[in-house]
Amino acid sequence: MTGTAIAQPVERSRRRWLDVRWLIAALIIAGAVGYLMYTSLQSTAASYFVTVSELQQRAAEVQGKRVRVGGQVVAGSIHTGGPGEPIRFAITDGQQTLPVVYSGVLPDIFTDGRQVIVEGVFRQGQPLEADTLLTQCPSKFQAQATPGQGQ
Amino acid sequence: MAQIGAGSLLLGLVLAAYGLVASIVGARWRLAELVESAIRAVWGVTAFIVIAVAALVTAFLRHDFRLAYVAGRSSRDMPTQYVLAALWGGQEGSLLYWTMIVGLLGSLALVLHRRRDRALIPYVAATLLSVMGYLLVILNFVTSPFTLLPTTPPDGAGLNPLLRDPGMMFHPPFLLAGYASFTVPFAFGAAALITGRLGAEWLRAIRRWTLIAWGILGTGLLLGAWWAYHVLGWGGYWGWDPVENLALLPWLTSTAFLHSVIVQERRGMLKVWNLALLLASFLLSVFGTFVVRSGLLSSVHAFAVSPIAPWFLGYVAAVTIIGIGLLIYRLPSLQSERVIESVTSREAGFLLNNLLLTAMAFATFWGTVFPLFSEIFSSTKLTVGPPFYNQVNGPLLLALVALMGIGPLLAWRRTAWRPLWRQVRWPLLGAGLVLVPLLALLSKPVAAIAYAVVAFTAIVTLLEYVHALLARRRNAHESVLTAFVHLLRRNNRRYGGYIVHLAMLCIAVGVIASNLFQQERQFVLKPGEQGQIGPYTIVYNGLQDKRVADAEVIAAQVSILRNGRQQDSVTTYRFFYRNYEDQPTARMGITTLGMTDIYVVLDRWENDGTASLRVYLNPLVSWIWLGGVVYILGTLTLFWPQVAAVRLPARRAAPEPVPSQAASS
Repeated sequence: MTGTAIAQPVERSRRRWLDVRWLIAALIIAGAVGYLMYTSLQSTAASYFVTVSELQQRAAEVQGKRVRVGGQVVAGSIHTGGPGEPIRFAITDGQQTLPVVYSGVLPDIFTDGRQVIVEGVFRQGQPLEADTLLTQCPSKFQAQATPGQGQ
Repeated sequence: MAQIGAGSLLLGLVLAAYGLVASIVGARWRLAELVESAIRAVWGVTAFIVIAVAALVTAFLRHDFRLAYVAGRSSRDMPTQYVLAALWGGQEGSLLYWTMIVGLLGSLALVLHRRRDRALIPYVAATLLSVMGYLLVILNFVTSPFTLLPTTPPDGAGLNPLLRDPGMMFHPPFLLAGYASFTVPFAFGAAALITGRLGAEWLRAIRRWTLIAWGILGTGLLLGAWWAYHVLGWGGYWGWDPVENLALLPWLTSTAFLHSVIVQERRGMLKVWNLALLLASFLLSVFGTFVVRSGLLSSVHAFAVSPIAPWFLGYVAAVTIIGIGLLIYRLPSLQSERVIESVTSREAGFLLNNLLLTAMAFATFWGTVFPLFSEIFSSTKLTVGPPFYNQVNGPLLLALVALMGIGPLLAWRRTAWRPLWRQVRWPLLGAGLVLVPLLALLSKPVAAIAYAVVAFTAIVTLLEYVHALLARRRNAHESVLTAFVHLLRRNNRRYGGYIVHLAMLCIAVGVIASNLFQQERQFVLKPGEQGQIGPYTIVYNGLQDKRVADAEVIAAQVSILRNGRQQDSVTTYRFFYRNYEDQPTARMGITTLGMTDIYVVLDRWENDGTASLRVYLNPLVSWIWLGGVVYILGTLTLFWPQVAAVRLPARRAAPEPVPSQAASS
């Protein structure tokens, strides 16, 4: 089982035949992985990653689809609500704003002016009902964290 | 302190530049003294970097807020351990720490291999110096940790609340060190390619240093998962966040390398493939470091594009081109000495293992950079979420677990079906015995199948130990424990490797359960009220207000009952840190009852004590941490000094033709 076999190099014809066979095996695995990736992309519905302005421009195109929107929390827009109520706020990319409703747990680092990413199904004319709210990782606090800016 | 630090960084850069020239010139014209001075230059550069790190640490301890880096990440009231951990709390410090690890491990490698691998050493030193020199350029001129503030503030901003957790002291340093340590095997690989000495001698060094990097990175990943679970409060330990994915990639490729390198040692095959994996592991480590600190991909960890982005991308591109160029140049001397003869052979098993691991790496990489590609090709930025990764990697992982069971039973060259059947029939029976009741018990058939596969591989692996232990007992009349220790000492690569396999199985058990059977509920409760989740009753006992050194704390006390009897109680917190009052940081209450974690997050509350709590039931997560501990122990046994190591080369030289220069020169 742990054979430390000393193999003699195999003759050429055999070598080539086997190479082809291994190539086919590798192709089958690659194909299977590709198929897995393709079907997963279809079924898990990749979401459109847009800015707030892009979202408004392409509203018709992404209507009813999952979108992932990045932006800054508009100062004073956060309404945390009581326990169990959804959090309401708005995000902006400097030009347009998008109202968001998020009903998950209050994230740790969520405050006015913070960069966030929200994800949910887009319905035109309604606030985005986000099921995911990502906030910035604290190790990236470069500019904000300098003292004197009222962190 | 700032002057000492900045000065030593500058001197380090100058010395690195000298060493680089000296090592190349010394190697080219065989000037031993020059090579020797290049080696000393590596040590010198390392010493300068250590001085710089010491200067930064001293600045932190003395609360020297003239330094922007210190003022931005620490404050006077922070506990000392977090003041120290703030060293890697930002980009500049992380890069400095990264460079120090390269220097320390590189210096150690030069000490250990200076005599034995004389021909490779100049280029190992040159590669190390080029990596360190490049980073020193960035640290000196692009993003210096010793930048001074125009006015000195009275107190610092303090470390961000999320980072004030014991995990901060362990996860980032391990992960960064894991990334950095791939530089050493890469340096040996590059040296082997440059010198054309592609025989067996470089393999030993590379394998060992890859193993070190792989162990450190794996530990860093596990600590990261543990930290995320205990701090981030979404009930999970792995979110398929771009930064997590990119940290996983070099681990996957180096796992593939550690397996396929065995094929090269034993059979002289897969040489190009192995070097490509080595190159990929290093590049992915650099890429990972860069993405953590840049903002190329939107992630929890990163947003804004930082000034170091072009530097890192340029470096990755340059190393890729040089690496592939060298590989192509040396292609003629990297021919396989033999071919795979049969599908049921050990080498075919390793090849399949490599295909699966690289497929996982590729799928994960693809999903992570998909937004970039989709933007280029269809002008729409598409992102994929955790379901994508789970659906693609889940089946691949299961196939890998099955292969982990079959692989060790396969013989080199070819395996006869009959003895193979004799070895798999009992494990197969065991898997069947697991499958049937689980199919009936569990609501998800896929879980039953997954557990059957895990059981099969676990039984095979344990039987391997049993056979070996019985043999030793029979022949040497040893007790089981002595036999086990001897087994590890004689053949740690095999039996230590199996420990890592068992660790992976343990982790798989936890991952399968917590992925497929997690329960989650949100409660809004007044003090004294209760709610039901799964078999457990949650009783909310009200809020408490506390004060600690650097924060004000709201604590919610929760009792957990089952069948009317109290099992345990947990407290879940929100911390209001000074300077970060608008960020109520959650600290989860987690308790393990039986094998299920009950995970309570305090969401929001009102003055009358009404609170919303989110409760998760996470089955078998403790198996993941247990597997993590076993992984670390198993990896450590791989470094166990070998009894036979001294005798091995002599014995090997005679009968077994080790694939060496015989073919290349």
